[in-house]
Order: sequence, then structure tokens, then C-alpha cells
Amino acid sequence: MRVLAVCGMGLGSSLVLKMNIEKIMEQEGIPGSVEVKDLSSIMGEQADYIFASEEIGAKIEHPAEVISVKNMTDKNEIKEKVLAAYKKL
Amino acid sequence: MILDLLQKENIAVDVKAADWKEVVDETGKLLLEADQIEARYIEAMKQSIIDNGPYVVIGKGIALLHARPEDGVKENCLSLITLAEPVEFGNENNDPVQIAFAFGTVDNEKHVKTISELSVVLMEESAVDRIAEMGSAEEILSYIEDILAQQ
Repeated sequence: MRVLAVCGMGLGSSLVLKMNIEKIMEQEGIPGSVEVKDLSSIMGEQADYIFASEEIGAKIEHPAEVISVKNMTDKNEIKEKVLAAYKKL
Repeated sequence: MILDLLQKENIAVDVKAADWKEVVDETGKLLLEADQIEARYIEAMKQSIIDNGPYVVIGKGIALLHARPEDGVKENCLSLITLAEPVEFGNENNDPVQIAFAFGTVDNEKHVKTISELSVVLMEESAVDRIAEMGSAEEILSYIEDILAQQ
């Protein structure tokens, strides 16, 4: 499962998100990768899903499905969303 | 890594801030006084929130303030303030903010390590509430150290 973690600048919240998604994927045995991107560099990037905060998610235009995360430090929310995304693939 | 950057001088507890801009000022001030950023970096951190919305409130009660390396970072740095009174940033899901970290990065590799450790700390049950209640930088550093030692 290929995921892009997106935020305004690519080195703050998206990195936190990437770390947490990667951890869950590892724990759940989900193969794939998570890359960090900022808003301006997602065009043309291939991905199954894009994870971002709600504010940033609202600005994203991309063929991949955008999954918004309310609380990036909530293990349960991230786990739920990652598992649901993987199931749909 | 995080404990290398987060020295006592980069932490202030029980800080008074009337609004989110003052939160950025107060957190940024610690980095400025340590000569780790230029003054314009603080303005850049505020502008980012104005441009992108309060997405920096990444979880309940916690704001992760930052701008880009080219906005005036002199060296990798990290500061933390806990607020005397929680402050609204306009984030529906995660307001009000109780603690704020500000960071600057020039070295990407070390930065990734720092954020990785920060994520671990923030995922800890009730970490934000506990840090917000602590009365001193020493207490906070000790708490962070304990969490990281358990990994």
C-alpha cells in the first residue's frame, strides 16, 4: 500500500503522520511505503492513499483518495484508518 | 536526539499567552535567544498558520510550530512551552492548545530522528496533559527521557 503523508511544508505534521502510519503498517504486517510530501509536490505522484490533516486535506486535488486524520497522535484513529484503507485495496 | 536539542534553556513552563500569535512568539523567542534562528523565522511560523490554517495543532492540546529551513534557521533546534492558560488556535478537532513545540531544521537526517522521537513521546497515553501540568523543565526532560528509554 503506497501512502503519501501531506502537510503544508513536508517536515512537520506530515513527518509525525508518516512515523505513526509506518509504525501501524509494521505492526499489522501491511506491506508498502509512506512518503512525505508538501502540498506543492503531490501532483504526478503515484499513491493509493493520501493521509493529511483536515485543513490540508481539504486543499488537495489528486486522483488518490484523501483520508483526513483529526488527531495525529491518536494511535487508535490512525490504526483504524490505515486498516480500513488497506482492506479496500 | 531530542534530548540533545531540548535543553533546559529551550523550555519554559506556565507561559502566559493571550492568543495563538503570542504562543508562536513565546516558543520562537526561546530559539531566537539561543541564536538558533533568525527573527524572521518566528514571522514565517505565524505566516504558515495564516496561510494553511491551524493544522499545526496536530493532536489534542499540542501544537507543532515550524516553517521552512530557508525561512531563517541557523541550526537544528527545538523548544517547548507549556501554557498557563490553554489557547485557541481555531482547530475544531484539537483546540485548545496546552503545550507548543517549535522546531527548525537544516539537517534533514537528524531532523527525521528528532521528529520520530517526538512522535513516540506524543503517542504516549496522556503525554500532553502530563507535560502541561509539570512545573519545571527538569521534570519534563526526565519524563521524556523515561518514555524514550522504554522503547
